[in-house]
Amino acid sequence: MASIELLLIIALASGFLAYLLGRVNRVYGAIVTIVSSMFVFSSLAYFGFTDSLDTTVSILPYVTFQVTYLGMFFAVMITFIYAMVSFFNPMFIKDYKYPGAYSMLYILSMAGVIGVFFTDNFMVMFFFFEFIVWTSMFLIPLGHSRKAAVSYYAFSAVGSFALLFAIFMMREAAGSFGINAGLAAISGTNAIVVFILLIVSAFAKLGAFPLHTWLPIAHGNAPHPFSPVLSGALVKLGAFVAVMALIKITPNSYVIVALDLPLAQYLVAIFAGLSIVFGTLMAIRQDDAKKLLAYSSMSHGGYILLAFSLGSSIGLSGGFYHIVTHALATGAAFLAIAAVGRQTGTTKMSELGGVIQKMPVTYVVYLIAIISMAGIPPMGGFISKWLIFQAVIDKGLILLAAAVFFGSIGSFLYVFRPLAALFLGQEKPQFKGILKEAPVIMLIPMIVLSGMNLVTGIFPNIFLQFINKVIVELGMAPVVLGTYTIQGTNGILDPLQITIAFGIGVVIAFIIFILLKKSKQVGLMDTYTAGNFIYSEELMHYSVDFYAPIERLYEKHTTHVQDMYKSLENKVKEFGNVVKYFFFTNKPEITVFWILIIIGALLWGDLL
Amino acid sequence: MMLSMLYGVGIAFFGFVLHTSVAGINRKISGRLQKRYGPKWYQEFLDIFKLLSKRATSHGWIFDFGVIMALGGIIATAMFIPVTNNFLAFPDFDNFFIFAYLIAVGMLGMAMSASGSGNPLASIGVMRALTTMLAYDIPYMVVIVTIIKLTGTSSISGLALYQQAAGNNWFIVALPLGAIVAVLALMAGLGKKPFETYIAPAEIASGPLVEYGGKQLGMLFIMMEITHFIEVSLFVNLFLGGAENIFIFLVKYFAVYTALSLISNVYARFKIDQVVLFFYKWPLLIAIVQGFIAIYLGWVI
Amino acid sequence: MKSTKFSELSQEQVDRKWWEIGDFFRRNSLWMLMYCTGCCAIELPPAMTSAYDMERLGMGPMATPRQADILLVSGYLSLKTLRRLIYTYEQMSEPKYVVGLGSCTINGGIYHDSHAVINQLDQYVPVDVYVAGCMPNTEAVMNGFVDLMDAIKHKTANGWKKYRDNYDWYRQNQIASLGEVEVHDEFHE
Repeated sequence: MASIELLLIIALASGFLAYLLGRVNRVYGAIVTIVSSMFVFSSLAYFGFTDSLDTTVSILPYVTFQVTYLGMFFAVMITFIYAMVSFFNPMFIKDYKYPGAYSMLYILSMAGVIGVFFTDNFMVMFFFFEFIVWTSMFLIPLGHSRKAAVSYYAFSAVGSFALLFAIFMMREAAGSFGINAGLAAISGTNAIVVFILLIVSAFAKLGAFPLHTWLPIAHGNAPHPFSPVLSGALVKLGAFVAVMALIKITPNSYVIVALDLPLAQYLVAIFAGLSIVFGTLMAIRQDDAKKLLAYSSMSHGGYILLAFSLGSSIGLSGGFYHIVTHALATGAAFLAIAAVGRQTGTTKMSELGGVIQKMPVTYVVYLIAIISMAGIPPMGGFISKWLIFQAVIDKGLILLAAAVFFGSIGSFLYVFRPLAALFLGQEKPQFKGILKEAPVIMLIPMIVLSGMNLVTGIFPNIFLQFINKVIVELGMAPVVLGTYTIQGTNGILDPLQITIAFGIGVVIAFIIFILLKKSKQVGLMDTYTAGNFIYSEELMHYSVDFYAPIERLYEKHTTHVQDMYKSLENKVKEFGNVVKYFFFTNKPEITVFWILIIIGALLWGDLL
Repeated sequence: MMLSMLYGVGIAFFGFVLHTSVAGINRKISGRLQKRYGPKWYQEFLDIFKLLSKRATSHGWIFDFGVIMALGGIIATAMFIPVTNNFLAFPDFDNFFIFAYLIAVGMLGMAMSASGSGNPLASIGVMRALTTMLAYDIPYMVVIVTIIKLTGTSSISGLALYQQAAGNNWFIVALPLGAIVAVLALMAGLGKKPFETYIAPAEIASGPLVEYGGKQLGMLFIMMEITHFIEVSLFVNLFLGGAENIFIFLVKYFAVYTALSLISNVYARFKIDQVVLFFYKWPLLIAIVQGFIAIYLGWVI
Repeated sequence: MKSTKFSELSQEQVDRKWWEIGDFFRRNSLWMLMYCTGCCAIELPPAMTSAYDMERLGMGPMATPRQADILLVSGYLSLKTLRRLIYTYEQMSEPKYVVGLGSCTINGGIYHDSHAVINQLDQYVPVDVYVAGCMPNTEAVMNGFVDLMDAIKHKTANGWKKYRDNYDWYRQNQIASLGEVEVHDEFHE
């Protein structure tokens, strides 16, 4: 038996240990993050899957725990991403201004994850939720920009306040802060309000339209090793909130008979569809590889929300599996980009090219990650997208199907762009001779994640069986699984068979290739140029404005949401100026006067 | 398992031979259309074997690996194709989405290899191919969703059997609007004339293929023949009621492919943004209208 | 087993057999890269279209040197274009053939006394078939292609081997005419 409380305390303590050791030598602090996150992940996974997590609390005040399959699913997955990414920390720690603080915050935000997913009390959950937000908020400015943290915090605050109000309303209804009691007790109009509040919170955390603008800013500017954690792990907190809203609360809303779907759910699905489309369109036109992946996270967040909002067990299963596959794929892709960023000093595609010549392993990791992200077999992304397609088609949602397929085909476009512009092509002269493959310690997690991408694609049933338990816990029928097959609503899938077929195809192609005459090796500058002599790599490498023809069609409409938030920001500033003008003038007596008036007004009914 | 895999490889080989012959005959037909004698019907075979016999140039391992992955992925996809009701390797597992996404492995391999050649024209060609795919696949998928929702199965052979059952029309009749969209999408998928922006020999020097010669080009040609076989046989199975026996399949296959090449012979090429705008203007609208009237109103002929 | 008369084929004989099979395909599927520098190029459209229909011989135009088998030099070559011709020729995949159209490629034709034009193409890249005439009519062009096919059949179209074996000699001629280029960039060559 292992006590969750003990794990939490160990995690918190190791955070402070990391800080102290980080003061001595910055690398020691980073190594503590590896040890600590690996320990937390492996003990959670081991004791979790053997059903021996202990929920008794003896030291921590107010905190109570419960073990649910849902919470365990999220906790194990997120700590796995933390554990994998932590291998990058020692290599990046020298770039930070406050290395000790980085190591500490990294571990503390992971400790928060344990708290959020294993508690049965809303206030404790909210406390740890905020704990994660605050720790990660201080992690983000260690990268490029302070503004990113502000933007991240502003949107997180929207989510947090929405969550807090929802919690208070459920407290009113149930009389206690218990999660299950609160969700069960809410009904009537209150249910609708709580539903909306929770959905707002989920959208803000997951970065779905229209609360998505923080994603590219935060992901793009966060420290390289923290971006995969943000995208692969922390935004999935939103999915957790979304499950609470979409599955556990059933607000009385008008049921659309033709779709067999409540209006509330359908509206969420529509917004999820818009996230998919807008995320895809914005990802296509990014120049920074990290921002591109950030927008792809927005699009994939849309998939997850859409799958949950459909309310069928196959949709739920697809949503949960998409959380896993997307976390693995985006984690691997971000890590590969981070490795490139470390070796070259930039992640802008227009400044890079031909990285594959010196970093082939990183390239293969990225390739496997994007195959999964684009939903192509034999990787995990295909299985989860297949399940989501099944759910969408089962409901006959034509417009959403168009959005889903747009996101799916569009992902071919945006994931290919870094592949072509950053990895392939001619090596830029400024990197010649100095570029090296990433160090072994960085290759380990990348290779493990690639392996996981493959395993999720070939043997998905290992994961889907556990997801079935989660689904049953949520009160739905499990998905029918064979030894290797998955039974959908309109078809059956055998991932192993597809993989074997692909393997046979590749073997045949390889035999054809190897039997034929050997090719003459030429350099990448010796290409067809209509007879012209070109010697500079920049002229030969096509990386700027990659999708110019399609970008041209919508480039005028890309800033509407940003403009909206900008004007909102101006309004807030104006309001702040008004407040300042009236209350905080250079005459203190006026301020005191107003404060007295307000206190008087507040206490009017009670005391005065 | 192993036996059906071999069976599948047989289907892929059958597809290669079939499509290469049909494409050769179609070259002859377009020759006749232009008052020429036209090449031999087996000219495509000669071209491919000639390419395989030449000594090629290679631009590094990713260039070769991409070609192998492309051909391998496409062979794997073709293995799942149901040719007739009985001539298929994996009876229950010929899910539509396998074709839609496994074919993308081949495409990705080719795109990767082309970009790996370091030629900007190849990257432009890949960009155009992906953009075209984004244009034509959405309307097509919407039509397919309609069909799957109506029949309750996504197995290609299941859909063919559904159309052969008494009382059911072929979907080209049952869903006439959807069939128009499917034909347009098929033309774009096959790279037929108004939509072949990504090959464009006079403009971007045959796009993705610009750096290939010798065996790599030969393997890509084989890959393309099999890709076309997959796309046309999917259309035959989805909209023309599949085939009870091999003879009917050959007739339908030849009719579809020849009709499309005849249409493409009289068209000039679109610009790439015109392709995108065209597909998002009419076919997408038609496909969604078809979906609505078929699923929610139940108007199926 | 005495009845089997098959003697062991040596590796060279096997290679030759394969080569002959390859030659069958190669001569029936000739793809051209048209290097249209001079006026002879005007004879190619009738050769390709319905009047003479080159495609019935399996021939066709191709977009890039990598894909092509024949380098078709139609007419005179100035020094600037010669440099690009050699670059293009070296990019082609083997076996590759060169066809020279018109008298300009044979002896300079009407430009024989120009300072900017080379006279004998044969000095710089090996030519397999010449089509004489100023300009040759389309029948002659077609005849030239059929000659090339015969040459491939009889293994006499060996220009690409000659180029490989005598590369130094060709290189010397090229440098003698074109001169060494000191600065390698887009503007100096």
